[in-house]
Amino acid sequence: MSVPGRILLIDDEEVVLDSCRAILEGTEYVVAAVGSGAEGLEQARSGQPDLVFVDLKMPGMSGMEVLEALRELDPTIICVVFTGFATIAAAVEAMQRGARDFLAKPFTPDEFRAMVRRGLEWRRLEVEAAALRREREALRENFAAIVSHELRSPLGAIQQNLFVLRKELAEVVTEDQLHRLERMSIRLGDLLALVNRWLRGFSVDFVGLKESFRAVAIAVPVATAVESVQPEAVRKDVTVEAEADPEAVVLGDEGTLTEAFLNVIGNAVKYSREGGKVHVSAVRRDEKVVVSVTDTGVGIPEADLSRLFDAFYRGQAAESSVGGAGIGLAVTRRIVESHGGTITATSDPGRGSTFVIALPALGTPAAGSDGSPADQASKGEAG
Amino acid sequence: MSERKKVLIVDDDPDFVEGIKAILDTEYETEVAYNPKDGWEALKRGGHDLLCLDIMMGRGAEGVMIARKIRKDPVLREMPVLIITSLREQIAFLFPGQAVHPGFVPVDELVEKPVDPDLLLQKAAAMIAAAEARRAAK
Repeated sequence: MSVPGRILLIDDEEVVLDSCRAILEGTEYVVAAVGSGAEGLEQARSGQPDLVFVDLKMPGMSGMEVLEALRELDPTIICVVFTGFATIAAAVEAMQRGARDFLAKPFTPDEFRAMVRRGLEWRRLEVEAAALRREREALRENFAAIVSHELRSPLGAIQQNLFVLRKELAEVVTEDQLHRLERMSIRLGDLLALVNRWLRGFSVDFVGLKESFRAVAIAVPVATAVESVQPEAVRKDVTVEAEADPEAVVLGDEGTLTEAFLNVIGNAVKYSREGGKVHVSAVRRDEKVVVSVTDTGVGIPEADLSRLFDAFYRGQAAESSVGGAGIGLAVTRRIVESHGGTITATSDPGRGSTFVIALPALGTPAAGSDGSPADQASKGEAG
Repeated sequence: MSERKKVLIVDDDPDFVEGIKAILDTEYETEVAYNPKDGWEALKRGGHDLLCLDIMMGRGAEGVMIARKIRKDPVLREMPVLIITSLREQIAFLFPGQAVHPGFVPVDELVEKPVDPDLLLQKAAAMIAAAEARRAAK
């Protein structure tokens, strides 16, 4: 730092200001001194002080009010209150309101100098802590990019070469060797898919998503999601039937809604037994569009239901060992919630589960509600 | 078929390049640039029928720089560009609010890394054929 410290003194007693200035004379601190709370705040806004001494008893704006305003302005500014012996109790209250310490009047020059040193040290730590917090935030935000580069690139390059080798060597190697190459490729593909799902959980900007919201007929993402699970369903001999009200419209992002439905319907297929049935319905119900996905699969134990939507949580997957990252439903919940909706699950272990996604409907049919769809979308009501 | 068509690959991962070059070599004459700068110089020399472009190069989306230059170039903007990216979400991440297929250049398509050999050949052939048809129509 170029400046060793900016100090602001706020006190209506001229003599206090003068003596403090005198004590700090000859130091490299930048000192400003004002006689009222209002001036003090103005000075704080323009002068960006590191350390503020404020008198509690002042005409006009009180010291307490100044403290609160300063905390709002910049919580890393260190505030110390001046107080007479009679107002020790008030000093305690001031500390509860954000003051770091208090200095009882009258104080000696040494006491004041020591407080200045301590205050500036606190400030240094505050600034440092804030910088670390920002760094941690940035790291978290960039995590997707970092993982992507460090993990995905090499895996992708290996996979790409395996693809080619399988093609190039198809005529030369034995069937057994070719099979092993294929297995390598499959395992690597699983690993890549896993990394992708993790990345997805971290990198989607669910807040920024709202900016791209527009009217979406629910039948469209439902149909896309059903279509995407068909190959897997056919392979497992699971029937997926879907019915969607063509009039049901929500305000949202079609792509992420598709993903949310895909996760739930995909799970239903995944946890179905061979020959099972998955039923998807999307209907308008009062002010909601309700999408329910019912399967006749293995079901979810009671104990797992409450944690189902937590990231990285995987149920016991009672009957079979089904692969997964445990992030699909967590992402689904975030997508649904960013649309102002809710997702719930009920289950009859051994017989099947039902997932219900309720989203605010666009275009209120009945009278009695004047909330605009945009309002409803941002409320995110629970229950 | 007269001459073999020419494909330029711009990607900073030599191993990955090996993996797609081997596929493209079966049908095309290939040229490789391992960074955006060399890639741009190769493009300026001309003669390519298709560009396979990696978006995430170097310290960020340096491939976009090439895409921008192509967009401004009256000749190169006619060339089909196959964007090969490691993650579609990254594109959404870098260009929020846009469709996953962002249309960096007038003629482009997008495939994810790693790319299936048949899909790559199919895309390349379709894009080159479409570009030829466009030229013929002019």
